Amino acid sequence: MADVARRPAGAAGGISDEKRQRLLELVRGRTAARPTDLAEDEVMVWPTLVVVEALSAVIFTFLLLVASIAVNPPLVDIANPTVTPNPSKAPWYFLNLQELLLHMHPALAGVIVPTMALVLIAAIPFVDRSPLGVGILFTSDKGKKITVFSAIFTTIVLIALIAFDSEIGVTRSLSGKVAPVVYEQLIPVAVMVGFSVVLGVLVSKIYRPTRRELIIALFTGFVVSYFVLTIVGTFFRGYGMEIQLYWPWTNLHEGAH
Amino acid sequence: MRREHTIADRVTNSSLWRAVVRHGYPDTERNQALIIASNVFLHLHPVKIKRYATKVTYTFCLGGLSFFMFLILVMTGVLLMFYYVPSTTQAYQNMQDIEASVTFGQLMRNMHRYAAHGMVIAVFLHMCRVFYTGSYKPPREFNWVVGVILLFLTFLLSFTGYLLPWDQLAFWAITVGTTMAESAPLLGPKIRFLLVGDNEIGQATLIRFYTLHVIFLPLAAALMMAVHFWRIRKDGGISGPL
Ligand code: HEM
Repeated sequence: MADVARRPAGAAGGISDEKRQRLLELVRGRTAARPTDLAEDEVMVWPTLVVVEALSAVIFTFLLLVASIAVNPPLVDIANPTVTPNPSKAPWYFLNLQELLLHMHPALAGVIVPTMALVLIAAIPFVDRSPLGVGILFTSDKGKKITVFSAIFTTIVLIALIAFDSEIGVTRSLSGKVAPVVYEQLIPVAVMVGFSVVLGVLVSKIYRPTRRELIIALFTGFVVSYFVLTIVGTFFRGYGMEIQLYWPWTNLHEGAH
Repeated sequence: MRREHTIADRVTNSSLWRAVVRHGYPDTERNQALIIASNVFLHLHPVKIKRYATKVTYTFCLGGLSFFMFLILVMTGVLLMFYYVPSTTQAYQNMQDIEASVTFGQLMRNMHRYAAHGMVIAVFLHMCRVFYTGSYKPPREFNWVVGVILLFLTFLLSFTGYLLPWDQLAFWAITVGTTMAESAPLLGPKIRFLLVGDNEIGQATLIRFYTLHVIFLPLAAALMMAVHFWRIRKDGGISGPL
């Protein structure tokens, strides 16, 4: 077995790379065919990892207990289909979609965009297959810079778009003048695709990224959008889902107010 | 050196103890390996692991935290089920009773709710960690897809639970959510009807959401987690620098 494992990659007739890697595990210590020291440096799971797990379980049980004792979540009035609270809001992790709902056709905001997002995310590993940068946070220095750039770009664009739509209003200025499909569907799709392309082109021009680094830009755009839209939807939408910049934000989540 | 005379040694040498525990005190490598390999829960882990994979600043414990939140949710959820009846005429009253008169009821409800929020956050951040460390790359692409399914299931678990208190917050949040689903092209109204079970949110909806929330989705999530954990091992353990 040691013999097989010692043969160079291509020559290990009929044995896939992965299998060879496993065989190498078996003959550890005998051959020198190990990629780096990092991959060789192993520790016993008990106690090294088990201790970390036990400790974090204790810490987070404690934090949950403290939070649960300190603050009671709301239980407002009994459900009443005849009294619609204003605003009515979805759970917070869907408020990003509810925010989109204010700017485009419900089929887009509620179904097509989230479905596309999940499908595109699932597709990432089939687009970016090179093993370069595995195991390194942000892949490279450039990757870090691209992440920061994309985050700032996305935040500014989103806030500008929301402000524009609430002050001037695409629907408001176009309704009656053109077919609804223009301002409910075409313009929103153009804006979403357009700004993704702009981000991609900007990053390409400034950083000359690898495919992995380009995907970092786009994924960061997604994560930051999710984050910004959730914050806006949770804290800055008040009566009639109008933008509301003043305190108290807290009663927004109590429904009936 | 007649150590077998200490009480602890008598216990650990007894045939009852030996029947359950098949390793000695884990202070030797042999016993440390045995304790992992002979315990059904611990054997989710390999016996040895790369040192970089144990660094908290690599995984930020986020996958583990997602699983931890899930376990808390199962435990507190089962306790809540003893008192909660999924009926539009009783559910809200049950919630008030849980808060006011059940021993530790309020604590269980709060922990269940905060762990649910915590799980959504942990799973999302875990996805970000996996992404930014490039850990989705081959051979882990399938496990990434399993992860996306787990993310979806986590959202659904949280969403179905949101209706159960049957207060205004719950009712109208689900109204907003199911109305969004209704707008789907072609199948929209059908999807909404499938979720709501009626033309309006009512008893049919509550029992659907309850069944999904306490049986179907937790089982589906547990199944996908089993695949997820198994795959981590089969893909060569936690990713790391080449
Ligand atoms: C209920 C939800 C989930 C649970 C309980 C879970 C649990 C875990 C655990 C315990 C690990 C070990 C490493 C670590 O802790 O980071 C892991 C790794 C991994 N997870 Fe998840 N996960 C979940 C959701 C997801 C999601 C949403 C994704 C991505 C979309 C994902 C993709 C992966 C991948 C690719 C790995 C391997 C990472 C590596 O080798 O470095 N998981 N998961």
